[in-house]
Amino acid sequence: MTALSLDPGTDHGRAGLTEAIRSEWAKLRSVRSTWISLTIIVVAGLGFAALFSALIASNWKHSSPLDRAQFDPVRISQAGSFISQIVVGVLGALVVTSEYANGSIRTTFAALPRRTTVVAAKAIVTGVVLLIVTELTAFASFFVSQAVLLASGGKQLPAGATLMTQIKAGVIPVLSITASGVPMALLRTGLYLTLMGVLAVGLGFLLRSTTATISLYVVFLLVIPILIQLLPSSIREPIQPYLPSNLGVAMETVGSKQTDFAGVLLDAWPATAVIVAYAALVLAAGATLLSRRDA
Amino acid sequence: MITARGLTKRYGSTVAVDDLSFDVQDGVVTGFLGPNGAGKSTTMRMIIGLDHPTDGTVAIDGTPYRDLRWPLREVGALLDAKAVHPGRSARSHLRAIALANKIPLARVDEVLDIVGLTAVAGRKVGKFSLGMSQRLGIAGALLGDPKVLLFDEPVNGLDPEGIAWVRQLLKGLAAEGRTIFLSSHLMSEMAQTATDLVVIGRGRLIADTTVEDFVSSHTVPTVEVRSADQVALADALRATGAEVAPAADDALSVTKVDAPRIGEVALAAGIALHELTPVRASLEEVFMEMTSDAQEYATSAPITEDPA
Repeated sequence: MTALSLDPGTDHGRAGLTEAIRSEWAKLRSVRSTWISLTIIVVAGLGFAALFSALIASNWKHSSPLDRAQFDPVRISQAGSFISQIVVGVLGALVVTSEYANGSIRTTFAALPRRTTVVAAKAIVTGVVLLIVTELTAFASFFVSQAVLLASGGKQLPAGATLMTQIKAGVIPVLSITASGVPMALLRTGLYLTLMGVLAVGLGFLLRSTTATISLYVVFLLVIPILIQLLPSSIREPIQPYLPSNLGVAMETVGSKQTDFAGVLLDAWPATAVIVAYAALVLAAGATLLSRRDA
Repeated sequence: MITARGLTKRYGSTVAVDDLSFDVQDGVVTGFLGPNGAGKSTTMRMIIGLDHPTDGTVAIDGTPYRDLRWPLREVGALLDAKAVHPGRSARSHLRAIALANKIPLARVDEVLDIVGLTAVAGRKVGKFSLGMSQRLGIAGALLGDPKVLLFDEPVNGLDPEGIAWVRQLLKGLAAEGRTIFLSSHLMSEMAQTATDLVVIGRGRLIADTTVEDFVSSHTVPTVEVRSADQVALADALRATGAEVAPAADDALSVTKVDAPRIGEVALAAGIALHELTPVRASLEEVFMEMTSDAQEYATSAPITEDPA
């Protein structure tokens, strides 16, 4: 075998985060599930934005005053995020659990014995990829949605006017990207999906099994919010704002505290801080357990 | 060199590896032998820092694996050939490993060539046969051009041609001065490939020796004899201090005297010899004998299944 110019002594430093990130990026882009997941995020985002906007516009004349009053052109443009929050969870989980399923996690740890580096690299790579795709999708979906509303009888909301005045006048309001709070709400939609994907990476390290990770993720995201409806409001209401799905709704919403189907929501930025804390906690727990366990 | 000292791994009350101490020397193929479930894979996982020893230490040229700065450039390991993402191509799989230790990507094509997978480098690993997966695993181990190589059952699933190729490869790597640690439960494999031998049974060290010494020190030289008058010859041999037992097909199985002496005794007694065959136990037989206690014990108090 030809000797390699790879004397460990000549290359200073050690295998660390840079190498781990390069390796994780190579792994992420070389499996089909990544591209399928990202495609679903884009297609669901654009598709639901177009579809729901068209349905609302075509039914506007027959809509009740309450339905009209609840209409939010930003929220409707982000309808696809309800699908995407599941997809990012599956993608984040698979980044970790697929390696446990086939055993290649051992190759990963053999190359990078400092396992916290691997956790950080997987979180960073998954996070960066998701951030790019979900932000682009959020903004593109907004443009698609407003274009569909405009083409179906909606009118651009004049500067200074409120949604409600135009709705009361019977006209579908269409928002400009420069409207107050809109860019931030869209930015936070991408941020929410990204952080949930990163959280799923941490959950994957905690649980190691694909089935367990995705199940728990879905239970917390979708089942608990329904289950909690069975509880009396005195117990339910203090919990509800902190459920991940409601934090997501809060993050996607323009302006301050609103009453929604989910009850009282946190303000958008505090909600963002809570999701950041969740993702950080789960990642830290995964990393801590990982260093103690056998691979 | 790999140095294990008092290496122990317990899972609850089960002891998978029990106070194991051995050295694996540079420049030779060292066989790591033991029945299934003896603790070979657990030991190998501890060597490369995947499993934490309950007690004891293991080091690569004096450094614990976790402290190696570029682990794959110093130690290459093939533990489980099927441990790859089935949806990734062979080349992508190796590139991801190379990037993790800053190994030049040109090396990926080199190792693909060494193991003969160049033609299928772009194919999904999930479609590989076990033999092709073994070759890919070997390529992964060779990627960092490491001085120390660990192979856990590398010939599993290989055809005879593949097995011969692995043997040549391992011997060649050892001849370059590398440390080769090769596990197998197949004695015949060790006899043909390994020089040194570490034998374990039920997690314990049974022997740390060379293949040659292992066989000679654990077998009694025996000679099979056939003659015109087996009864008279048996008496004559016993009279000189030999132990004689009946063997298959009316032969005599003689120990404690060597073949020339038997010939002399037969000549003196006037008995014509028809056959005089020194019998040397195979490594397989020695191993079965050596580890039978461990295996019997294992059936009454099962040890953890070695994850293949």
